[in-house]
Amino acid sequence: MNHPREHDLALLAGGEVGRIRRFLLDRHVHACADCQRKIAEYQDLRDDLAGIEFPDLNWNFLAADMRANIRLGLEAGACVRAEPVLRRWNSRPAIAIACVLLLLVAGELLRDGRLHRPAIVDAPAPVLQSTGSGIELRTGANSLTLLKHNGDAVGQTVSARGDISARYIDSETGSVTINNVYLQ
Amino acid sequence: MSICSRIFVGVLPLAFTAALSAQETSLDPASSIKIDLPADAPLNLISTTMGDSRATSRGGAIVLDLHMGLTLRNSGARHIRGVTLLITAQEFAPGGKGSVARPSIDVPPGENFTLPVDIRLVRPVRETAGPLVRVQLDGVLFDDLSFYGPNRLNSQRALTFWEVEAQRDRAFFRQALQARGQKGLQEAILASIARQEDRPQLDVALSRNGRAVGSIVSSAVPGTDRVAQFAFLNLPGAPVQPLEGWAAISGNEARSPQVEVLNKSGRPVRYVEIGWLVKDKEGHDYLAGSVPAPESAMVLPAGQHARLQQDTALKFSHGGRPIEIDSMTAYVSKVEFADGKVWVPSRHDLDTSPLLRVTAPSPEEQRLADIYAKKGLAALVGELNRY
Repeated sequence: MNHPREHDLALLAGGEVGRIRRFLLDRHVHACADCQRKIAEYQDLRDDLAGIEFPDLNWNFLAADMRANIRLGLEAGACVRAEPVLRRWNSRPAIAIACVLLLLVAGELLRDGRLHRPAIVDAPAPVLQSTGSGIELRTGANSLTLLKHNGDAVGQTVSARGDISARYIDSETGSVTINNVYLQ
Repeated sequence: MSICSRIFVGVLPLAFTAALSAQETSLDPASSIKIDLPADAPLNLISTTMGDSRATSRGGAIVLDLHMGLTLRNSGARHIRGVTLLITAQEFAPGGKGSVARPSIDVPPGENFTLPVDIRLVRPVRETAGPLVRVQLDGVLFDDLSFYGPNRLNSQRALTFWEVEAQRDRAFFRQALQARGQKGLQEAILASIARQEDRPQLDVALSRNGRAVGSIVSSAVPGTDRVAQFAFLNLPGAPVQPLEGWAAISGNEARSPQVEVLNKSGRPVRYVEIGWLVKDKEGHDYLAGSVPAPESAMVLPAGQHARLQQDTALKFSHGGRPIEIDSMTAYVSKVEFADGKVWVPSRHDLDTSPLLRVTAPSPEEQRLADIYAKKGLAALVGELNRY
């Protein structure tokens, strides 16, 4: 059996439902002992509440005070609403767009990093090279002569420590000069 | 790749490739060069000539061509036997630093001598503060083998080795003169000149931490990596004995040489240098270079072992053609004891081994040969009798 809702029974107990609704509810209540019992409880509660004495209050003053508080709240809300509403409305798409842009930029950078990293690793190491004409510093196909023989070189010595020395004899004094250049 | 190498990789290609926009300026000695001689140095700077020294701005780098002459005076009380100057344009990157040494000299107190500085250095343009080039005294060696100087380049050791070799070779030629007269001296010096002319010399490309890429002969010889053992030439008087050693070989390239040595003397040793010979497929021997002990201080107690190793790659060629390495030989070429005394192979060691033919003569032997070639036997005899 489908019972009526509680608040309909409460309204029926107080005689506060319309005629059609009352007709339909009465049909059910006449045949349902549970609903009759609930209606009797609501009627008893109403009688009890009717016996309570309210304190001596200035209801007009309370009503005016509540209206003033409500207006004050509305005005205060209007004051602070202008910016937050605007920020809330604009910041979310802005943040979303920024995130998307950040993602795109980061992706681009990472992609570039992958492209460039091997270039750094594969960059030719500096090479110090003794040749018949002097000592050169080379990187890849490029070279720069650091010591140039002037026809009086008498030898070069390579140290696995990372340096090459070249000996020259001074044509005027006959003294030996030894020039060293270093990988680092 | 180190930071310095990255700087180099960034700067040097600019120097190479931006030559079209190069701007040359002569170097002003007052503002471009700073010559540092400590106040208590046994040398006074008398004058400086700049020759055609110039700075060339090329892209992001400055190429400094130095053709200077420094006239110095021995202001000390002892004869000077050798001097080393450190020339710096930038401290840590390749091509930024060099040194000029003059061994085998005899400069009495109060006497002037001129030291030429002919070298090219590179520095980044952005390093604008201070002079372009700094010339510092690194060391002075005296006739009693005492030393003065900051010794940042280990000049004391190098100058001492050269001086001891000079004393050995002067004694050898003086003995030839005393034993066999001028004819004997002439034969000895002519044999030396012939050896110097015949000595096969290699062109070597040297790089750190890997292969010597960038060499003009970088891929000329296809090769497979293999580890080759060193054969050893044991000199009877050597205080240190090589035990085992090897290097990775690929065609004409040898990498990461390392040699285990034993101090068989009764004294602690603080430096050892290994001479390195390579033989090509045709059986020709060449002096490849040297494998020195690391820069860090090494003390090898008597009877103890140590390993010398360098993380470098050397690529060899001769006459523009790559030399395919067939075998390698190593020998102990220099030893420095903890008390500063040094050992070098004796003349007898050299004479009785293939070393005399293959290894470089001492600077003093080259100087004496040059005196004979240019001034004759009488001048050589006079030089040998001088000190």
